[in-house]
Amino acid sequence: MRTRTSLLGLGFVSPALALLFAFFLMPVVLTTVFAFTNMSTATGITGGSHVITGNLLRDLGNAGIDNDVITALGEASFSVTSETLAAAADAGVEPRFLGEIEARLMGQNFEDARSFESALKSLPSRPTRIRELKLATEPFERSILNTRYASRADMEAAITSMAPDAPAETISTIAEASYTGWRWIDGGNFQTLLDRPETIRIVLNTVFYVAATLAFNVFVGLFLAITTFYLPKTGAGFFSVLWLLPRITPVVLYAVMWKWFTWDNGFLYVIAEQLGLPAFNYMKGSVPTAWATIILVNGFVGASFGMILFSGALRAIPIQQLWASEVDGASRWQQIRQIILPQLRWPILFVTSYQTLSLLSSYEQIWLTTNGGPGSTTTVWALEAFNTALNNYTGNLEYGMGAAMALILVAVGLVLSILYLRMFRFDELVNKPRIEF
Amino acid sequence: MTRNFSAWPIYALLGILSAPLAVMYLFLVIDTFTNAPPGSLIPNEFTFHHWRFLWDASVTGDVWGPTATTFLFATTMVVIVLAVSSTAGYAISRLNLPFRRFFLSGIMVMHAFPSVTLIIGVFLVLQFAGLYNTLIGVILVKASLMLPFGVWIMKGFYDQVPWEIEMAGVQDGASRFTVWRRLILPQVTPGLLSLGIFAFIDGWSEFMLPRILAPSANFQVLSTYLNVVSDPNSTTYNFNLFKSVGLFYTLPILVLFAVFQNRLMNIFGGGTKG
Repeated sequence: MRTRTSLLGLGFVSPALALLFAFFLMPVVLTTVFAFTNMSTATGITGGSHVITGNLLRDLGNAGIDNDVITALGEASFSVTSETLAAAADAGVEPRFLGEIEARLMGQNFEDARSFESALKSLPSRPTRIRELKLATEPFERSILNTRYASRADMEAAITSMAPDAPAETISTIAEASYTGWRWIDGGNFQTLLDRPETIRIVLNTVFYVAATLAFNVFVGLFLAITTFYLPKTGAGFFSVLWLLPRITPVVLYAVMWKWFTWDNGFLYVIAEQLGLPAFNYMKGSVPTAWATIILVNGFVGASFGMILFSGALRAIPIQQLWASEVDGASRWQQIRQIILPQLRWPILFVTSYQTLSLLSSYEQIWLTTNGGPGSTTTVWALEAFNTALNNYTGNLEYGMGAAMALILVAVGLVLSILYLRMFRFDELVNKPRIEF
Repeated sequence: MTRNFSAWPIYALLGILSAPLAVMYLFLVIDTFTNAPPGSLIPNEFTFHHWRFLWDASVTGDVWGPTATTFLFATTMVVIVLAVSSTAGYAISRLNLPFRRFFLSGIMVMHAFPSVTLIIGVFLVLQFAGLYNTLIGVILVKASLMLPFGVWIMKGFYDQVPWEIEMAGVQDGASRFTVWRRLILPQVTPGLLSLGIFAFIDGWSEFMLPRILAPSANFQVLSTYLNVVSDPNSTTYNFNLFKSVGLFYTLPILVLFAVFQNRLMNIFGGGTKG
């Protein structure tokens, strides 16, 4: 029998669905979409307008657009319309003079400033001073240069009015080029990534960072789990709390503590000075120490993850196996090698794959400590994507390029997490660490 | 475990490995109450001088405003996470839904998925929604990113409630909603409490989202406040002061951790930090 869909159930999941849609699904979609655009601070996010600038005209000229058209677009013209009259009234031109302009010159166009001025001079109530007359002409000036047009059609109309002889094809090319918003550039971002010499460097950095930190996490996690397993309860409790502290310490404070540990006049600095060893800012002073710092900074947080999972798995090993091995005279090392490690195979594999994914995508600690330095020697992929899109103090934030870099991570993340789901029958694994009470 | 092995070599090894952590946390506390002569680590005087930022706003700027904002941020987020997770968790645990399996595996993929890679996309969503640089935007994002975890945990708790309780309620003529509200919810309060504490700690510690999604907003949370205050490149840098601010910021978390340690230990295994 097919059961009825529960309306209450639909009501109960809809808030979750709405939030997950807005802040999980939409970001994935937007990252994918905008990875194929050149969106940046300069182009704006919500779309742009159409503007012809002097630089653009020069570029168009170099690109082989007819010179007559270019010159025509570069020129200013003067026209008397209701709009320009209103603009002139706003600019404070004398009302009587304006009235005369409206009465006699309405609807006329003037090619250049001189002919417009001479037309104005023929009016009875013209200003006596030349400067005022020149000021009065300004609101009537109609130049296509640096004027914003909201739509492409407006821009094309404006171009046609300035250069009536231009062929339709040229007009459309110019209108297209005048767009200031972001545009589709297909795989342009990915091509740029491939062409950049830094890319390979960042990939190698990422591989090294993930491999080294992962090794630290797994080995230290294992070591902690096994040693605390053998220790009496109070000793074991002390060390597991100590190693859990980095996990609950807010990341900003954790970074401050590491800075104190490695900075000028910090802990290591003072110790090294007293021992006569080279003392400098270890976090930023040299490449090997910078690497050591970020691997340890992340490793000390990550090791507790392995420790918790391995400890749980260790407690699940039947204790009789260990008793039996001791009766048979096994040393502690033999116990670990022959009994414990083989039974930890799956947890080890799980921690390895889970942390590969989270290390690939994490950059918070690196950002707050070395920030990829010195130079860009410790910059990893995720940090570079973040810096490109959101954290570039020099000015232009390249959202499109950053999204392209993030898209690669998102794709890797999706594939890996679905893979793990299959591999580990995730439902069982995610179920296990449920809160107990 | 049997005692026919000696424990001291293990203590020695563990001690060496844990030394950096021990030193950092020891000096985190010591340095906030003491001064040490230059070029030395051993303190020679006791002082409350480094805590004066609590009452003297000229030292690092007002600290109580950010504290209040952080509290507001964390509690609002906890309320959203609890409300949405407790309903959605119940629905996917007990009620008939179309695409239930699909929703379940989607939640699991999102749980494993590193949400930090979405930050650029989230930034664009907030820009389009007009929520960029607002506190409510950051809260919604933070709560949403916690949801897959929260729904999953709550589903686990609901799964453990015996069906008989629900049957009895329905038998007596209560609606499914009343059953959930009056009979089932009280059964999972320990779960709500644990999830709430976990979410509160997570929200209290959050740094990236406020920093990136509300960089020029007119509010500050303690994490961004501490980050601005503790710039070692400033000419007057003073790690004792930085640590005092940091310890003040972290105290609520340490207290919660000390009180609810056993509950949190188990949730960390499925937790979100790598």
